[in-house]
Amino acid sequence: MPDEIKDEPPPFLGRWTRVYTLVLIELVLLIFAFYLFTVHFAPR
Amino acid sequence: MKPLDWVVLISWLVLLISYGLWRSRGSNTVNQFLLAGKTMPWYAMGLSIMATQAGAITFISTPGQGYVDGMRFVQVYFGLPIAMVILSATVVPIFHRARVYTAYEYLEQRFDAKTRALVSAIFLIERGLSAGIALAAPGIVLSAILHLPFAWTAIIMGCVVILFTTFGGIKAITWADVPQMTVILSALVLALIIAIRLLPPEVSFLDAAKLAGAAGKLNAVVTQFDWKDRYNLWSGVIGGAFLALAYFGTDQSQVQRYLTGKSIGQSRLSLLFNAMAKVPMQFLILFIGAMVFVFFVFDKPPLLFHPVELARVKQSAQYPGIEQRYNSAFDRRRAAAIDLKDSRPGAAQDFRAAQKDLDAARADALKLSKEGDTNYIFLTFVMRYLPTGIVGLVLAVIFTAAMSSSAGEINSLATVTVIDIYRRHLRPDESDHHYLVASRVATVFWGGFATIFATFGSNFGALIEAVNQVGSLFYGGLLGVFVLAFFAKKVGGTAAFYGVIAGELAIFATARFTSIKFLWYNVIGSLVVIAVGLILSKIERTRRA
Repeated sequence: MPDEIKDEPPPFLGRWTRVYTLVLIELVLLIFAFYLFTVHFAPR
Repeated sequence: MKPLDWVVLISWLVLLISYGLWRSRGSNTVNQFLLAGKTMPWYAMGLSIMATQAGAITFISTPGQGYVDGMRFVQVYFGLPIAMVILSATVVPIFHRARVYTAYEYLEQRFDAKTRALVSAIFLIERGLSAGIALAAPGIVLSAILHLPFAWTAIIMGCVVILFTTFGGIKAITWADVPQMTVILSALVLALIIAIRLLPPEVSFLDAAKLAGAAGKLNAVVTQFDWKDRYNLWSGVIGGAFLALAYFGTDQSQVQRYLTGKSIGQSRLSLLFNAMAKVPMQFLILFIGAMVFVFFVFDKPPLLFHPVELARVKQSAQYPGIEQRYNSAFDRRRAAAIDLKDSRPGAAQDFRAAQKDLDAARADALKLSKEGDTNYIFLTFVMRYLPTGIVGLVLAVIFTAAMSSSAGEINSLATVTVIDIYRRHLRPDESDHHYLVASRVATVFWGGFATIFATFGSNFGALIEAVNQVGSLFYGGLLGVFVLAFFAKKVGGTAAFYGVIAGELAIFATARFTSIKFLWYNVIGSLVVIAVGLILSKIERTRRA
């Protein structure tokens, strides 16, 4: 089957690898924020 | 429910269905009916992927989970963004370029017909069972809350789903999910605001968070590793990533969503949108549960939230004693909460002791009940405390969320039945119109199957457990064979075929003979498929040499 479907750049950040990195950075920040949230409100 | 709520509920159903059908006009080819002619933008696919995965069960039961067990369930979703990145980088371009209707069609391009048939059959069994459950579970809850016979709710939802999916196809389902998800997220935010505003005037938002924390409800991250613990950081990141890889990469009900994209980039964006939005959304839903918990610290909740089971328990001889203990524990907890808010020494200990007594009284009542009540907590709050009109809207979106999820599953079942079984093995050379009619007939068949299966459901707790078990028993095998297809170029069809069988056997053995929790089944199953596939392939090549 001919490979006619071309890839295209993302609408922001220029390259897909940068968008993937952004997603993973958000995940790390969320987990870290949730960890701080858990520790702050943990029963004492 | 008040008359205005019924008006809102029925109006929302009519509006949403009409909107979906209007957007789907012109779906008169197989490509249009099953893949929306590959015209969908990323935001519609993204919201539809979210709606299909969430379904009504998430919105009914997740706040209840936050209320009972705290927020640790959010960790299940920690692996999802990782999986979405992997799928966007690998699977999305492969499926688009292979020009397939189903994920399993690709397996024949890569391996052979028997591997495609085996994996299609696994999907039909797994998804066929869960399509019925997706209708039954919210049907049971809504029937108890609205005091309607369960069979009515299941049959009404089933018939609407069949008509909607048969006439509108995937375009109607996807477009209807856009306002659906928007309204359901708005309704959840509104519920959170109302829960906080209904707190006594002297209790601030920070006080509420402090009280929820003191009761151990804000436990969003558990760093301690334990194989037998369902929800911790490690099972969430590793097990959750495997689960999401399997679900979004190999389950046709999800793959079909992003195959409707007008380009590889649009499909990628739909997955990455979910990668960024899903974890905060689940956090929000669980946090609503924690805030509803705090609300009920000051406003006495029923001993059990399940109205039918509460009526049953009230007939029991033990009930007066349990109720007395419950009332006493509630009064002590409320007094301790005020002291804790004002930072009086020893208040935290008193609060937790009262909470423990209250939980013990509830546990005794639950022992007399046939069913748990976690899934009734949020709807009890909605029915009792949200304003008229909003109650109707929340119930309407739960109805339509159940229908949306079920419609997506039925559509994918029809697609696999027609493309991977009927067109491939039974009638390979018919016209496009013939396959369009066959797709509609298959939709009616699977819709009817799901509805009939749903009407046999009677125990919500058992159904939820069944959903989890059915999915986790099969996804590992599916994920393993797709990993072999994408990344192990030397592995042939026979090695992959027996790899899947070995992987499934390993999962069933793990489930039967160990206490390892379900999130790990996908990891174990997929690794066995990959290992057996690679070993058999090596043996085959050695023998040939």
